[in-house]
Order: sequence, then structure tokens, then C-alpha cells
Amino acid sequence: MPALSPAVEACPSCGARPSTPLLCEACGELLEPRTPPSPFEALGIEPVFALDLGAARKRLLALSRALHPDFHGTADADTRRLAEDNTAALNAAFQVLADDLRRADWFVRSLGGPREDEERSMPGVFLQEVLEWNETIEEARSAAPGSPARAALASLAAELQRARAAGVQRVTGLLTPPPARGDTALRRVRQELNALRYMERALREIGELQLASHS
Amino acid sequence: MPFLELNVLNAPERTTLGIDLGTTYSLVALWREGRPVVLRPKGRPDGRIPSAVHFPAKGPALVGWPARERAASDPGGTIFSIKRFMGRGLADARADLESVPFPARETESGVIQFVAQGRAWTPQELSALILQEVWRTAGEALGEEAPRRAVITVPAYFDEAQRAATRDAARLAGLEVARIVNEPTAASLAYGLEQKREGLVAVYDFGGGTFDVSILSIEGGVFRVLSTAGDTHLGGDDLDRALVALALSESRVGPELSHDPAFLQGLRLAAERCKLELSSRGESELHISAPEKRLSWRRSIRREEFEELLQPYLQRTLDCCARALHDAKLAPAEIQEVVLVGGSTRIPAVRAAVERFFARRPHCELNPDEVVALGAAVQGHVLGGGTRELLLLDVTPLSLGLETMGGAVSKLVLRNAPIPCQATETFTTYADNQTGIDFHVVQGERELAKDCRTLGRFKLRGIPPLPAGMARVGVRFALDADGLLSVTAREESTGVQSTIEVQPMNGLTDAEVERMLKESYAHAREDFDLSHLANLRIEIGTMLRALEKSLPGARSQLDRETLGDLEAAVARARTVERTDDVKAVQALRDELERAALPLAAVLMDSVAKAALQGKKLSEV
Repeated sequence: MPALSPAVEACPSCGARPSTPLLCEACGELLEPRTPPSPFEALGIEPVFALDLGAARKRLLALSRALHPDFHGTADADTRRLAEDNTAALNAAFQVLADDLRRADWFVRSLGGPREDEERSMPGVFLQEVLEWNETIEEARSAAPGSPARAALASLAAELQRARAAGVQRVTGLLTPPPARGDTALRRVRQELNALRYMERALREIGELQLASHS
Repeated sequence: MPFLELNVLNAPERTTLGIDLGTTYSLVALWREGRPVVLRPKGRPDGRIPSAVHFPAKGPALVGWPARERAASDPGGTIFSIKRFMGRGLADARADLESVPFPARETESGVIQFVAQGRAWTPQELSALILQEVWRTAGEALGEEAPRRAVITVPAYFDEAQRAATRDAARLAGLEVARIVNEPTAASLAYGLEQKREGLVAVYDFGGGTFDVSILSIEGGVFRVLSTAGDTHLGGDDLDRALVALALSESRVGPELSHDPAFLQGLRLAAERCKLELSSRGESELHISAPEKRLSWRRSIRREEFEELLQPYLQRTLDCCARALHDAKLAPAEIQEVVLVGGSTRIPAVRAAVERFFARRPHCELNPDEVVALGAAVQGHVLGGGTRELLLLDVTPLSLGLETMGGAVSKLVLRNAPIPCQATETFTTYADNQTGIDFHVVQGERELAKDCRTLGRFKLRGIPPLPAGMARVGVRFALDADGLLSVTAREESTGVQSTIEVQPMNGLTDAEVERMLKESYAHAREDFDLSHLANLRIEIGTMLRALEKSLPGARSQLDRETLGDLEAAVARARTVERTDDVKAVQALRDELERAALPLAAVLMDSVAKAALQGKKLSEV
């Protein structure tokens, strides 16, 4: 898939082929990426949606150990700037990869699928449920802590978690193996993502309501 | 000599102090011989330095212990809790200003100034005085000039303005800031938790003026902060104030006293003593007096009563814990280690509540007052190039954004994002030939810009004249590893670098820092000598009091010559107030110390003998 993994240039210092455009792990040289690397490139891992998050985190820690400004505090100004910039790029990359929705969004966009504002629909069955969920949240919002309406939030949260897991499962199916550029599957992923974003928002709101009722 | 060769081959470690610049006390530590140690000058086992500045009627400001000692006799001249004003404007600090005995005003850019001795002092300058005292103490403990490079800690929940103010204070104190580190994160380093290799840790940091909780994951020597929450206005100070409020309402003092800063400061110190006592006893007495107003009021406070006063504050700390866990997507039971930091965690009720919340006995092996400075020294060791074993990956506590049309906030960086981090947003023009755009940078979690904290405003100039909507201006925000923000902008279609003038809110510009530095150089030598003098006098006073207690019982054990020598030194030391010459006072102090050495040996000896004979030490 050339679209997902462009070649990384050889290290100017030792000639090795680095696994990430941010750093030559062979000689420890900090590299200046020509173009902003994709999240997968930054961590130097294969671009698959069904990611081994534990392995990605190990990469984050290993690369941080080489890139982080803490270890370049006594270096020249240029190296210090590169340490800041490249660590920031690494951090941003891991933030995207560690989040199912942002990672899926990255696949859809880099494979030429519809952007969020180009495809706003959700899977059909989902709409009725959205209305019911909304109702439960709104009732709980105005209800007193400890009331049945508040108690209903907990079961709604569990239901949303299940629905979210099922949605991510469908997205995983659609993106494994990655579809060809412009494939219609990308539109379906975008629709699933719209629904998943809704669930995330609802879960966040429930979380806020539950935090507020503790105090 | 393999050691020497190693040192030549590797870049030598740049010695870096770890400084805990606290609300009530500050402390300095350094990595020495394989571990972090608190730097304590000889004869001062408590290495803490009160974060207080006293302005006497004349003469230079007194800092640290001298300031605190004077506060008791001259409460109208001392300022405490300066940290609460860092990066803040008058409107933010109303409640805190009540306990400051000096008039306060605000500069055009929202920096508070206290007027004392006919000049204005910003919180940055006052904190710089404290940092200088900390640095001087470090030198005294080391017996040589202390390094000027330092890691300085701040509450994790400090926003950008408060961090910038801390950095500026360090610059004014002549220190090079190796890193601004979050207090709870530093504390986790001090515990050496990495030796357990893997795990999830919660750090509960309840200090003098601030509360923080951080959730970390430790993996292969890397400390990665997952989330942080806190309140920069919640600390032991608040508990003192609750006692003060109780005393004011029950003693029914009139408004002339309840609004008198000097009286309030005296009362605050009494309340603090009462609070401290209640950590080890079931009951303590709160006593206030103002002889000139014929007021003497005392009241016994039971521990249960104090715990009731404490409850709302304690609940707020637990709410923060719930928030941090929620953000880290964890349940309390998933936390494997809990670390207690800050003096307020000495309160038994606080410990019990934390233990209940996490269902786990918290770590409190290290002195909660020292753990932050120790951790800062560990981080100093890392930053100085001493080790690559440890790495801290921290986060920003608050979201960062720009005000958009209609007063909403467009968030560029979300809270708990790992730092350093960078974000770029593209803007365009809405009018033909528009050459500038105004930006309002805010930090906080609220939806509307007016409810968030203004970090600054900047104007973008030099956009090439183009039809509306054609220019593409990329604005790049960079939060560095200290959590400090820098902004750059570029017009992308033409590549023109636009100029930015940032006006920091509640902060100093570089030019202002420069000017303050120049002014302070002029007085530096003189101020230094005078504050050193005050310190020496206090030391002599402490030694004389100790001698008065121990000498009478030990006279018979000293030979005549030694006794005569010591008595002469005591007599000379008592003349200390008669001279202002630092060298002479230093000589008096050194002489007294030398002459008292045989006595110290005798005392040690009788303690040891008593122990051998099976006597209790208290009978000696």
C-alpha cells in the first residue's frame, strides 16, 4: 500500500534506513522529517487498523527514551528544538493511534474516503436508539441524585459501551484489510464513525453527570 | 584510573538543584552519591524555608525564617502565600488579598503589585527573593557556591500564566531553569517506584495552598502521566482559615479587628499551630488576644470538630480524584500504589479518606514535606545528563484554545494531552485586503471564552492583501516540556512569516523581566549581606537558648579552661545586636559554635553513658 507507507530516507549521519522519520535508532541521530509523518510512520509500525496497542505503547516509550527533550537539555539549540518538535509529533501520533475513532478517521481520510462534513448520515437502525438515549440523559439531568432517572444512566452507559464495542468491531471488519482508495466501504466506515462519535459524546455526558452527582 | 577516563569521555553531569517553591515552605535538594538528599545547613535539621517575606520599617526585606520570626512580633509587615498570586490578577485574588498587610494594585497587563517600603513588588519579584534565599541555603549546606541551574516544581494544575510567572521569578533570582516539573510527578520519582517496574500509581498532593492528583503508569523506568486534576486554591491554608473564621465568629470581635491584617495574621499563625497539634492530639486550644483592645479569647477545639470543618475541603480533593480517574478511564481499584505528598496529608482524617477512596494503604514512608524536592533533585540528575534510566512523560492539565466568532472556544490542545505538544490551525480573512487578524488565546474547560482564563491576545500583521477568504494563515501553538506556550504564524499561500505581538495577561514581558533584573543587580550585594546578617543573628539566638538550657547541668563536667572559653564566647555573642558588620557577626557565630563543641561532646557522652546504664533518656 504505497499510499499508507511512503519510503523513509536513509539517515544522513550513518546511512542506516531508519524505522521512523523522527529518529535514526541505529545511531541515535534526531532527524528532521521532510513532511509531517503519519501516525503509523512516526511510531514506525505497520499501518493496520486492528492495532496491538500494547506494542504501540512500547514503541512510544522506546522512542521517547531517545527523543525526549529531557535527554537533550545540554545539547545545541538545533538539537533541542528537534527534540521538542519530534517528541510533540510522536505524542500526537500516539494520541491518534490509541483512540479507535481517531485511528479509523485517519484511515478513511488517507484512503480518500469522505470527510466528516461530506458524509453526515448514520446507519439507519441507529436513529431510533439515539432518540431514546437522548431522552434518558435529559431526564437524568433534571432529576435529583439517587432518583430512578439517575439510576437509569448506569444501565444506559453499559448499553452504550456494548454498542460502541460492536461499532468498533464493524469498523475493524471494514478496514481489515484496508480497502482500496475510494472504495465504498470507506463511506460505510464514515457512517459508523458518525454513530460512534455520538455514543462517545453521550458517554462523556453521562460521565460528567455521574461525577457531578458524587459531590 | 578508569573513573577519570569515563568522566573525560562522557560529558560531565551538570549539577542541577531540585527546588520545591511551596506556598508556605520551600525546600531544596540535590542528587549526591547515588540518591537525592535535602540540603540542610549545619544545625538546621529542618531544611524548610518559610515562603515568607518581611518588610521592616527600614532596611532590606527579610526572607524565610527571619521573616516568619518577625511576623509574630510585627505581623503587619510580613507577606505569606505569595504563590497564590503568581500569574493572577487582582480580581482573581480578592479573598487572598485580605491577609496581605500591604496595599495592592495591578499593572496594565494585570500583574499584581504590592506596595511596601515605597516601591511596588510583583509576586514574581517576591518569589525571586525566596528563590535567592533557597539558593543561598543550598550553598550554606554545600559549603560552596550552589549550582545556578535548577528544576523548579509547580502544582500540576498550574496554568500557563502561573508557570510563566514561576519561570520569570527564577530568572529574576538569577537561576537557570532546567525544567518546570509538576509536583505530584516529581513526588512519584522520589519514591523509586520504577524499581517495581510496572504499575498504576495515584499521587495525592495536598499542600499548603494547592491540591493536585495525578494518575501515572510506570513501565520500564518511564513515568507516564495519564491524567491530572486539581485545584490551585485548595490547601492547608484553607483549613487555617476555617479555624480563623470560627474564632472570628465565636469571639465576636468587632470589624476594626476582623479587618485588621496584622491581627488576622497573628490569628492565622495561632490557627495553624492549633491545626498542627490536632494531627497528634485529640484536642488543642485556639487562643487569640489583642491586649490593646482588651481581647483575650480561648477555646478548645476537639479533633472531631476540626474534622467536620475539614469535610467540605476533603470532599473537594476526592472529587478531583474521581475526575482524574475518569479522565484516565480507570476505576479506583485498578490503582496499585497511592503516594501521599504535602503537609496536609499528615492529618489523620485525610489519610483515612484517601485510604477509603482507593481501598489501599497509601505510601507515606517519606516525609510528605520533602518528597517533592527530592523528586525534583532526581529529575535534576536526569536533566543534567546523570542518568537515562528514568524518564518523565507529563501532560498539560488544561485545554488550550482560541476564541472564535461568537465568543466560543475552538480547542487546539485538549487537557491531559502529553507535552511537549504542537497544534496548527488555519485561519482566513473575512474582508478583502485584510492584512491583520486578532487572536484571543484562552485556557480552560468551559465552552465560552469569557469563562476561560485569558493567556494573552495577539495580533497577526503583514498578511498580503488578498480577496476575502483567500489568505491561509497557519497559526502554530507549541507547548514545550515545561508547559509553556509559544505561538508562531505563517501565511501559507505566499509563505510570508507574519509578525506576532503577544501581550501576556497577568504576566511579565521579557523587557519587564530585563528591567527588573537590572534594578535588582544594583541592590543585590547590599541586600544579600543584610539578609545574611539577619540569618546569622537568628542562628546565634537559637544557639544561646540551647546553651542556657544545657550548660547549667553540665558545668561540672567541663574543665575550667573550656568553661571560661565558652562563657566568654557566650558573652561576646550576646553583643551581636551592636554590630551590623556581616564578617564580625559571622565570626561571633563561628566562635560560639567552636567553644560549644566540648559541651556538645560531654552531653553526647552522658546520653550514651545513661543509655549504657539502662536509664531512660528523659531521666538524664
